[in-house]
Amino acid sequence: MSLEVMSSPDYMRDPRKHHFYPYADNGGTSVAIAGDDFVMIASDTRLSRGFNIFSRDQGKVFGLTPTTMMASSGCWADVLTLNKVLQARLTMYSHEHHDQMSTTAVAQLLSTMLYWRRFFPYYVSNILAGIDEEGKGVVYHYDPVGHMEKLTFSATGASVSQIQPLLDNQIGGLNMLDVQPPKMTKELARQLIHDAFVSAAERDINTGDGILIHTITKDGKTEETVKLRRD
Amino acid sequence: RIKQLLFLFSPSGKLVQIEYALAAVAAGAPAVGIKAKDGVVLATEKKHKSILVEEHSIIKVEMITDHIGMVYSGMGPDYRLLVRQARKVAQQYFRTYLEPIPTTQLVQRLAAIMQEYTQSGGVRPFGVSLLICGWDTDRPYLFQCDPSGAYFPWKATAMGKNFINGKTFLEKRYNEDLELDDAVHTAILTLKESFEGQMSSDNIEIGICNSRGFRRLTPAEVQDYLANIA
Repeated sequence: MSLEVMSSPDYMRDPRKHHFYPYADNGGTSVAIAGDDFVMIASDTRLSRGFNIFSRDQGKVFGLTPTTMMASSGCWADVLTLNKVLQARLTMYSHEHHDQMSTTAVAQLLSTMLYWRRFFPYYVSNILAGIDEEGKGVVYHYDPVGHMEKLTFSATGASVSQIQPLLDNQIGGLNMLDVQPPKMTKELARQLIHDAFVSAAERDINTGDGILIHTITKDGKTEETVKLRRD
Repeated sequence: RIKQLLFLFSPSGKLVQIEYALAAVAAGAPAVGIKAKDGVVLATEKKHKSILVEEHSIIKVEMITDHIGMVYSGMGPDYRLLVRQARKVAQQYFRTYLEPIPTTQLVQRLAAIMQEYTQSGGVRPFGVSLLICGWDTDRPYLFQCDPSGAYFPWKATAMGKNFINGKTFLEKRYNEDLELDDAVHTAILTLKESFEGQMSSDNIEIGICNSRGFRRLTPAEVQDYLANIA
């Protein structure tokens, strides 16, 4: 979206046309990293539009089931609606099945829900993180129309271009010769997430203020807050 | 005299079309289902009206998914429709959740379809009762779906011609410790109660469902079981 058009007043645009653009970019970045028996999902807490900050304390990670969480960024209106509709579907499923949805089922459901809106998409970048049926951590990355990829780590949102290459290198061992990526632990994942967001906040105006890090294991969820630069 | 409109309740509180549909089922070929500890068996009589009929081209015990199978008593053409719709429902479920449809979910959705046909304009109820067997969450399932849309979970049951005798027979013969082999044996014996003539692998059909999924027995396997009865 062009910043000049978005920030110019109505009377300075073409007076003959009424232009309504249904999407807004409210920023937000998310990261998820999976381990053998855990998964960590984090997002920054800044909600913005252009050069304006709407909130310094808006987390973007939503809990879905005891073993699954989702981070969504992009157009905040669509984020909220998508989450609301998904929660409704989760509730309906548990009514019919007398059981919670598994992580893989949620992942597939989200993909089909997004594609249903193929011709007027949810302007949302999603990452799903959860514990699968075997107790392993798993991460799913989505595009706005439901393309889904199962991964062990992923970034999405405003600072994806800054963070994803960092993760590719540090966890995936990409672009390095003769280097074995380390075994993923909670400490390593937390440190990587921290460093990734701190670096992204330096360069991207839409990322900053704070990080909310959620850890999911089969025993439950924990949450941690980290401060980021507020400029 | 109150006019009996087909889609309205009779004074006695019944829907006559459903009653007549159940009569069509009771006149149909016998079908039997038995749940064992480690699986479920479905069996049905497949008598052909003429020796010219090519028996092995007709299949009554049908697979809905890898782990769910179905058989019927009543009108064959109505059954075929329900088989297609059950398969479609199962695939749609898999498309949405990437998980095989639980047997209970399939039964509920299929029964809802059957109920629609008792409350819509211009249609009549299905003239079949279905026996649905499945295996998921490490246990066997056996359900009956009626033309009304009602469904029942069974340990063992019989439908079609002579079903009352069949059920009485099963009440005596059934116990919770049956293994699948014994259940197949018992199912064949139940069918035999109402069978006129000689049973062979050409005129009965058997399907089993266990942890490895659903499949129909080959004629050779059926023959083996029959040999053990004679």
